[in-house]
Amino acid sequence: MASEQQLQFLQQISPFSSLPIKLLSQTAQQLDVVYFPSDSVIKEFDSLFIVIKGLVKERRGETVLGRYAGGSFFGEQLLLGKSAASVQVEFLVEEEAILYSLPKSQFAELLEKDRGFYDFFHSSIAERLDSLYKTQQMASATEVMMDTVCLAPIRPLLKVKASASLAETAQILRKNAGDACLVEFAGNLPESERFGLFSSSDLLKALAEPKSHDEFSIHKVGDYASRELISVHQFDFLFNALLKITRHGIDRLVVRDDQGFIGFLTQQDLMILFADQSGLALIKIDQADNLHELLKVSDQIDRLIDNLHHRGIKSHYIAKMVNELHRKIMQKLVELLLDSSLRDKVCLLVMGSEGRSEQILRTDQDNALLFADDLDKEERIKIDAFSDTFSQALLKLGFPPCPGGIMLNQPRWRQSYSEFCAQLHEWFDQPCEESFMWSAIFSDAECVYGNQAQLENLKKQLFSSLRNQPIWLHHFAAKALQFPTPVGFLGGLITIKNQRREWVNLKKGGIFPIVHGVRCYALEAGVQQTNTHWRIKALMDLEVFEHEFGIELGESLNFLQGLRLESMLQQQGIEEADSESIDISVLSHLQQDLLKEAFRVVERFKKRLSRHFKLHEVL
Amino acid sequence: MQAWWSALQQRRRDKRFLKKLREPEFVFLADAKSRLERKEFVSLDCETTGLNPKQDRIITLSAVKICGNRILSSQKFNVMVYPEISISEESIKVHHIRHVDLQVGEVLSERQAIEAFLHFIGSATLVGYYLEFDLAMIDRIVKPWLGSGLPNPRIEVSGLYYQWRQQQHRDSMHNAHYDLRFDHMMEKLELPMFSQHDAFNDALMTGMAFLKLRSLLYGDLSAH
Repeated sequence: MASEQQLQFLQQISPFSSLPIKLLSQTAQQLDVVYFPSDSVIKEFDSLFIVIKGLVKERRGETVLGRYAGGSFFGEQLLLGKSAASVQVEFLVEEEAILYSLPKSQFAELLEKDRGFYDFFHSSIAERLDSLYKTQQMASATEVMMDTVCLAPIRPLLKVKASASLAETAQILRKNAGDACLVEFAGNLPESERFGLFSSSDLLKALAEPKSHDEFSIHKVGDYASRELISVHQFDFLFNALLKITRHGIDRLVVRDDQGFIGFLTQQDLMILFADQSGLALIKIDQADNLHELLKVSDQIDRLIDNLHHRGIKSHYIAKMVNELHRKIMQKLVELLLDSSLRDKVCLLVMGSEGRSEQILRTDQDNALLFADDLDKEERIKIDAFSDTFSQALLKLGFPPCPGGIMLNQPRWRQSYSEFCAQLHEWFDQPCEESFMWSAIFSDAECVYGNQAQLENLKKQLFSSLRNQPIWLHHFAAKALQFPTPVGFLGGLITIKNQRREWVNLKKGGIFPIVHGVRCYALEAGVQQTNTHWRIKALMDLEVFEHEFGIELGESLNFLQGLRLESMLQQQGIEEADSESIDISVLSHLQQDLLKEAFRVVERFKKRLSRHFKLHEVL
Repeated sequence: MQAWWSALQQRRRDKRFLKKLREPEFVFLADAKSRLERKEFVSLDCETTGLNPKQDRIITLSAVKICGNRILSSQKFNVMVYPEISISEESIKVHHIRHVDLQVGEVLSERQAIEAFLHFIGSATLVGYYLEFDLAMIDRIVKPWLGSGLPNPRIEVSGLYYQWRQQQHRDSMHNAHYDLRFDHMMEKLELPMFSQHDAFNDALMTGMAFLKLRSLLYGDLSAH
């Protein structure tokens, strides 16, 4: 009873929080309270220290290895005998500290008695990261977003031959109480064309065509089936399923496993599962018919992000989801603002991080507009006017203008297909700082609205130019090395002091080198994807990256982006906020470890990049 | 000068105690030699049936040893005492210990509790916040039994706090009235507050205040 305070304290701290209550209260009994005034040095190495209040710095010589504030612990390296150079490690009290000390014997007992506790201290960084996410995700047991498709109510698969008549098909649907079936086409067709989908709405369409009753027994279902089959793997995330449904504007997905198709997932069933804001936001954007309503939705998106992040959803899933919502908003804007006669003559691009689907909070607009070569003067005036109102509308929705002017209201980023093509060649023929930057941004472009073929052709031009001028890519790749990685020779973090706090630049130090480096590899290999995680995946499939390295790189990027999001969310509303950096004293012990590990991966990646693109010859 | 004076006072107190002591078993309370060697402090607090030491009784008695800069909360002393009188309504409101709470778990008689307590503290220096009250409650039991009140040296944390506040304002013309309330003191010292009016937590917080004030007033701890 008297250790209630200590018990509650430990319950807040991973991995203690996962200990069974009996073991935990036994541990709470063993805690002593230790006091250290500012600037004193902690010399006791026979216990694990947990900070109640204050700030303690771990250092080896001049290198700072870590900082520990309230709720974090230190000293475990020495207890575990992992730190051979223990003599040189020193704990300096930066700000008067009150600590709990847990005796070595009790720590050893926990390691012995609790498997989870043992694993936490002995597992590799990647595993630790996962266990961190797991504990965060436990809190969000109700969150269905990250559940797999097979957990949703999947409707049984119905299959008919394409040669079956409409009447027969209707009977099958009726008998099985289904509203759609798979249509199997006969003949020697490629895998992607062997199946089609016939739903009750196709049946209605068929009914609407005037024909006699008899004809239903003659007409073949194959002639009415939709040949474009959108499917989802049963182990994919449910929110990916939702994205597919909204993106393609369809009512159902075909669920597949590794062998073949297994059932249907309908939008209706999915929406019941998603009875929260995320699904609603998608629908609301669809329903909005003026700017004002879009404005309301975009406010909700910000709250949604905060919410998702606190539930422990990995940042690249949040980014994917949010980018999908942003794209929906932009599509809606085009529909609201652009003359309908011009809609299939343009191609609206999002580029940079928005193109890679890595934008989390609304940042600069990076967009461009391509249009067909054969527009007349009047149409071009309409396009110009549209571009201005579009940029203004995005501004109102909270997307700040791009300081580099990479926006469709600038002439450079609003050109006809041929004009843009010429410009692309110019970038290659006259490489300079700007053309490198523009190429980088353009290579991440994705089409949000309109005629996608225009972009695809331009990308083809880009890849062929790269093949013709391989040396260009070497110079391009060198940009990944322009900022030093903020990790010291001995593995400590290199920080920048500002306002009495220590900052690490996550973007320049880690995120940018990974994103740009992976972009270079992807361009070289002709990978079409723009998202960095998908590029890494594609490069793993092409065996450019070994499996293990790819996973490590992806996880490191994930972690860095997660931290950056956290920092951005914290700094929201603060003037002169530094959206690229994080104040490391707010990080837990585990997070600091992971950060160092992530930077080490970045460092290894840079070395690899340098060898691969022979950057020492270029620089 | 001051140190010399208090050492003399203490020697007198020990002597008087030994002279009056009726139970030779407890000579260790005044063992000046072990006190000097062990340099132990004990922070203590009790919750009572009311605020009158003459009438009211102890309900819970908690103490924790302090050694160097370490509060040995793992070796705490924490007992419940069966009060022979009923607990006043006002004090129930403060410490939330009702009569029924004393019927569960191990509850000692006053004599058993104090005996265990004396063995726990030994010759250590006692530390407390408004210690006088707690000691009066304890001495009410100790005196008729041993023949004398506790001989242990004592440190009043609110006194240390007052001294520190005065030192802070030594150079200014500020002739302050200092707020000595416990929560106010903890706030000024920037120490964490645990839930109050649990004898053990109070003893622990008093211990922290003691460590911090001692370091603020006398600097390096290891010298003590």
